[in-house]
Amino acid sequence: MTPMIRKLVFGFAGLALLVFSGISFYQSRRLKEPVVVSDGVTQVVRLSKYFSGVEGTANDCNMYILEGKEPGATFCILGGTHPEEPAGRLAAWIFAENAVLQKGRLIVVLSANRSATTVTRVGGAYPPEFSIPTSWGEQGFRMGDRWSNPLDQWPDPEVYIHYPSGQYLAYVDVRNLNRCWPGRPNGTLTERTTYAFMEMIRKEKVDIVIDLHEAELQYPVISTIVSHEKAQDLAAIVSMTLTDMEGFKMGMEFSPKNLHGLSHREIGDFSDAAGLLFEAPEPFLDATRGKTNTEQLLTGKDDFVVRAGQHGLLFEKIDANGWPIDKRVGRHTSAVLQTMVSWTEMHPDKPMVCDSIPRYADVVARGLGQYLRNPALAKPGRIWYE
Amino acid sequence: MDLTTYASLVLVVMVAAYAVAKFFKLSTEISMFIGALAGCVAGGFGISARHIAEGAMTYLDINLIFITATLFMNILKESGGVAFVVRGLFKRFHHRRAILLVLLTVILLVPGALTGAGSVTVLICGGMVATVLVSMGVPKVKTAAIVFIIAGLSAAAPPVSLWAMMTAAGVNMPYVGFFWPLMIPCLVAGIATMFILGWKGKPAETEEVLASLPAAPEGMNWFKIILPFVVFLGFIFLGRTWPHSTVVTGLPFMFLCSALVSYILSPLKLNFLRISRDTVNQLLPLLGTLTCVGILVQIMTLTGVRGLLAVTTVTLPVTIVFASLFIVLPLSEAVLMWGAAPVIGVPLVLLFNTLGLNPIVALAGMSIIWPLGDALPPTAIIGRLTVDVTGYKDSYAQFLKACIIPAIIMIMIGMLMVIYSKQLGFLTGL
Repeated sequence: MTPMIRKLVFGFAGLALLVFSGISFYQSRRLKEPVVVSDGVTQVVRLSKYFSGVEGTANDCNMYILEGKEPGATFCILGGTHPEEPAGRLAAWIFAENAVLQKGRLIVVLSANRSATTVTRVGGAYPPEFSIPTSWGEQGFRMGDRWSNPLDQWPDPEVYIHYPSGQYLAYVDVRNLNRCWPGRPNGTLTERTTYAFMEMIRKEKVDIVIDLHEAELQYPVISTIVSHEKAQDLAAIVSMTLTDMEGFKMGMEFSPKNLHGLSHREIGDFSDAAGLLFEAPEPFLDATRGKTNTEQLLTGKDDFVVRAGQHGLLFEKIDANGWPIDKRVGRHTSAVLQTMVSWTEMHPDKPMVCDSIPRYADVVARGLGQYLRNPALAKPGRIWYE
Repeated sequence: MDLTTYASLVLVVMVAAYAVAKFFKLSTEISMFIGALAGCVAGGFGISARHIAEGAMTYLDINLIFITATLFMNILKESGGVAFVVRGLFKRFHHRRAILLVLLTVILLVPGALTGAGSVTVLICGGMVATVLVSMGVPKVKTAAIVFIIAGLSAAAPPVSLWAMMTAAGVNMPYVGFFWPLMIPCLVAGIATMFILGWKGKPAETEEVLASLPAAPEGMNWFKIILPFVVFLGFIFLGRTWPHSTVVTGLPFMFLCSALVSYILSPLKLNFLRISRDTVNQLLPLLGTLTCVGILVQIMTLTGVRGLLAVTTVTLPVTIVFASLFIVLPLSEAVLMWGAAPVIGVPLVLLFNTLGLNPIVALAGMSIIWPLGDALPPTAIIGRLTVDVTGYKDSYAQFLKACIIPAIIMIMIGMLMVIYSKQLGFLTGL
């Protein structure tokens, strides 16, 4: 092969790679995720309503506001802080599409770091999208990553110094929404996003912020509630009640005072609200995982992770049944509902009562897809896109 | 087919494809790419353009650091700065052998520490330091061994240690707290190597040595050499002192600014575009390796091969893991180069973390051992480069033999750091 022909062959191969991968990246970045909002949703606003610094950016996300017939507390559910932890987003989705509030006010966010939903992790081999089966077909979702898309925020600094604590963190965490609380108005996109959320929390006088996550089984903070000290009694009761009544173990941990940038620490420190963070198990995130595909993501079945568990290397149990997405989402819906119930018992003057949301047993029995609504049947003005 | 059988078969296909490619004398990076493609097809994913492209981007930031830092070093060299430093140090300290050896160690450590690549050390100052060492009466084989060993240590030294950075990224661990756990052993092992191999020898006449070194250009001075480094450190200082009032520029931009300052201050008229082109040509094999390592790791992760290696490693008896570190690390480096970090380093760090060891110090210890693989076949890129640059013409086996004592020192330091990482945790400053 002459050098010219070799160059042409490699040139065309490179071009083909560019075109085919480019189409895939373009499609997944622009995949429209429909949200057929519940009848309980009274307003849908953009995050930029609270801070114009995110207007027109990838992170100017939708916020679904549900108002009860009677006044009460204000809760905020954050899904999609880390989009690669889909149970958090999907649980929030169930609230946005199904919840009806009797008392209080609920603000639901499905893509807290929307930029991070538009990218998958380099080297991680994530699938670009995944689908949830429903009675009316399949609904597709972007896979997402842990960090904001470098197309929206780049370059990273040589070390990330958290504002305002001055704590040193890994450079890449400058794009991690859950290391950027409470944010700052003239910071990076991720910092401006958390600042906008803080403004929302302060202006809407939110009482409780619940940040929904998932964790690898090798991570010690798993199947637990991490609570700011302001909400420690509430978290303890929720943890005990869930463990006793719902058939799954839910621990409780205090938010470390010297670990900064996390929602459960900074929201409590910089607003009147208290922050809670819920963790469900996600074997897909484990470094020992086998095949990286949507089946593993949604079933949580993985022989290699099971083997690591047999050697005592994990902080959560796993067997051949894995950790199906229904179980993980059900844990979150139950935990949020129980937080509302326990809060109302502790604050009868400021109740929070929410109907039409399935608990753990319902989601596991009927499947998560049962609670996703058909966009084709949406009434005019009741469909939004993430 | 169960997962273990499936992943094992894919692994066998990848290894076989890599071996066949090497057999046909293809470069390591192309061989890794072919291994990755074969694994992707064998795993049932066809030729996935998305995964290939995404994997190729894994180390984009590191590649940019690599290019800009090496451009800076090359401009410094072409402007006569390196020659000026080496000549200056020799003139001043040639009667004080101990001080000169220490200073030569530092000179060898700097380029690799800034760029993360031992090859940059060899290319930038390996030849000149070798000239000085030979003129000090150090045999050529020992001179080559010194340059190779310290170049390897320079790659492991902070601030940029690719093995530590890549492994840390693989386990979601901040690349923070590594400075002293990397700096101290690199300095100790580097100076020990220099003294063990370079202490004995009858020096040549000063004038003879100076005549054999490249001339420093008229107008070059210490200010012109130090200022670009001050610019780089100034960016770091500003970013760390006023992090919330300073624009985030990133390391590549900082190195680029230093390169521009060095270019402006050069007493010689330099062709910036030519040096840039030469830099990229010089780095192409290494950039290609990092890009292909990213693709390889992506496909290994996709097919579960990475999981197979990880779970096999973390479930091995601990004594076997410790006892085999000194073989596994250099061998993995010899085969995969930096790919060894995400493939072997990640599961090992997970295991050490689970055992209650300090993952930062343990990883730093491993990073001291990894560079030894750069002299071993099938790649041996830096070993062979060193032999060429230093002008050593005898057998490669003799060169390897000369490296044995410092290699044992590096292995001992690295192993002790892993085993006693918990006790050495104070080095991280965290």
